Amino acid sequence: MTAAVETQDLTRSFSSGIALDGLTLEVPPGEVLALLGPNGAGKTTTVRLLNGILRPDRGRATVLGLDPAVEGNALRRRTGVLTEHAGLDERLTARENLVLTGRMRGLDRAWVERRTDDLLERFGMADRARIPVQGTSTGQRKRLALARALLHDPEVLFLDEPTSGLDPAATRDVIDLIGSLATEHGRTIILATHFLGEAGRLADRMAVLHRGVLHAFGRPTEIAAGLWQGVDAELDLGGPADAATADALRATPGVLVVADAPTGLVVRVTDREVVPHLVRRLVEGGVPVYGAAAKPPTLEDVYFAVEARIAATEGRATTPTSADLLSAPVGAST
Amino acid sequence: MQAIIAKDLIAVRRSKAVVIPMLAVPALLMIIMPLFIGLAARGPTNPDIGRLLSTMPGDLARPILELPAREQLIVLVNGYLLAPLFLIVPLMVSAVLAADAFAGEKERKTLESLLHLPVQDRELFYAKLLTAFIPAIAVSWIGFLCFCLVANGVAWPVMHRVFVPTRLWLVMIFWVAPAVATFGLAVMVRISARAKTSQEANQLGGAVILPLIFLAVGQSSGLLLVPLPVAAMVGGLIWLVALWLVRGGAKRFTRDQLAARV
Repeated sequence: MTAAVETQDLTRSFSSGIALDGLTLEVPPGEVLALLGPNGAGKTTTVRLLNGILRPDRGRATVLGLDPAVEGNALRRRTGVLTEHAGLDERLTARENLVLTGRMRGLDRAWVERRTDDLLERFGMADRARIPVQGTSTGQRKRLALARALLHDPEVLFLDEPTSGLDPAATRDVIDLIGSLATEHGRTIILATHFLGEAGRLADRMAVLHRGVLHAFGRPTEIAAGLWQGVDAELDLGGPADAATADALRATPGVLVVADAPTGLVVRVTDREVVPHLVRRLVEGGVPVYGAAAKPPTLEDVYFAVEARIAATEGRATTPTSADLLSAPVGAST
Repeated sequence: MQAIIAKDLIAVRRSKAVVIPMLAVPALLMIIMPLFIGLAARGPTNPDIGRLLSTMPGDLARPILELPAREQLIVLVNGYLLAPLFLIVPLMVSAVLAADAFAGEKERKTLESLLHLPVQDRELFYAKLLTAFIPAIAVSWIGFLCFCLVANGVAWPVMHRVFVPTRLWLVMIFWVAPAVATFGLAVMVRISARAKTSQEANQLGGAVILPLIFLAVGQSSGLLLVPLPVAAMVGGLIWLVALWLVRGGAKRFTRDQLAARV
């Protein structure tokens, strides 16, 4: 299957320094890819390069089989972008912003008007349609900007920090909307964000950028396999475990790491088959076990583990997270 | 391109901070001033402008001195001295709007959305240029029509004839003024693409536009005294320079440059 997005050694620098350095990745159609990294990681530059807004210094990209640097206009007809700032003209009404964008995209007026009304209805903005954008909240603007990005039914949707500046309720609304978009028509979504919660909920795969360099790319489980061995499991003991219990588990064959958790312990085992043995051992030792579940690595766990590895490479110290503790040498975590 | 211009013109129309000075200044210069001059000339006491005329260049003063005393003030002010305003107004309006073209989009954080449209770089440049040019010329021409109606109407009891526009006036309004406006906005659009805010663009552009305004003030009355072909040729020269600047600007203009500054 032809990739929806493909980059090879994509590089771009500005007068302030290198923004993206040799990015190589591939995104199949219908996938949601989270581009993760702190501010200045190169996420926005990537989005701009993939839409032909910026030209690469080196390397190449294809999006929907088109080269953004050469066929930018043809490509932009088939992609939609939600920029970090909603980018709406505050002097115009919500409806005018959408209709005029459609006209600027060269779409038929009658079709655009119908589509605008449908999108405003779907995004819960129908009652604000004729109010100047100036009088709308940040959350409403984001929804409106998302509607605008979907106006021409794009095959690839780029979302650059879609929830920045939103309160928790508006964040949930926008994530729900994006979640529903991801399942529509096999649309490919590139989600550039530094909010791991939204990325974890929406993304199939993740790409971690740091100072323009790609440090990890793949499904969280795949990346985790390269970062640490084994499988994590949570043992619910009804409260924090004592040192003797933790030591007993540590001495069990197949256990790699044991870490404290508020409701018991988190263990890393060589294989999930080890977990029933641990439960039996605990019960036989008189420790009540209220639950035991394998805990696949979350995107957040993997992201912080990658960040910790980057920090270690650069000789920086970071605040340890549960993933850091679990990826630490056996015996150091408890 | 038409849709971008239409959208920008709607947005400009909604912006009171832009519309009010854009209309108030021309109304003052092109309607209120000729009205008062005409009323003053109709008054029972005829102002003596002989001393003023004696200080003016012979070519300008001679045809006025040949007129009846009551007509002299009207012809001097409404026929000659207000002429520079018809170059200044389109230059001023186009400069203000052109300064806003890209710098204003940056300020309002709407530039990136604009760059993501499937529009050629050159179309984007010309759309922004025309967004400044169309209102500037509209204000200038409508203002001139109002000026002619007011100046002739209010001076009718004294003049008993239509004294503006002359053929030279028409050359200046419909040929020279658009050329000067194009010249100014070609410079301003390029500055606007580099500036971060409209204010910065206006400040940078002021260094270019102000000397142009002084030049216009100094030369436009004189332009009404030269033979028609000379005035047309001067206009042609300004058009050549202006279009060369526009073409150069369009060639150099790229999305990449703008996006790198967002």
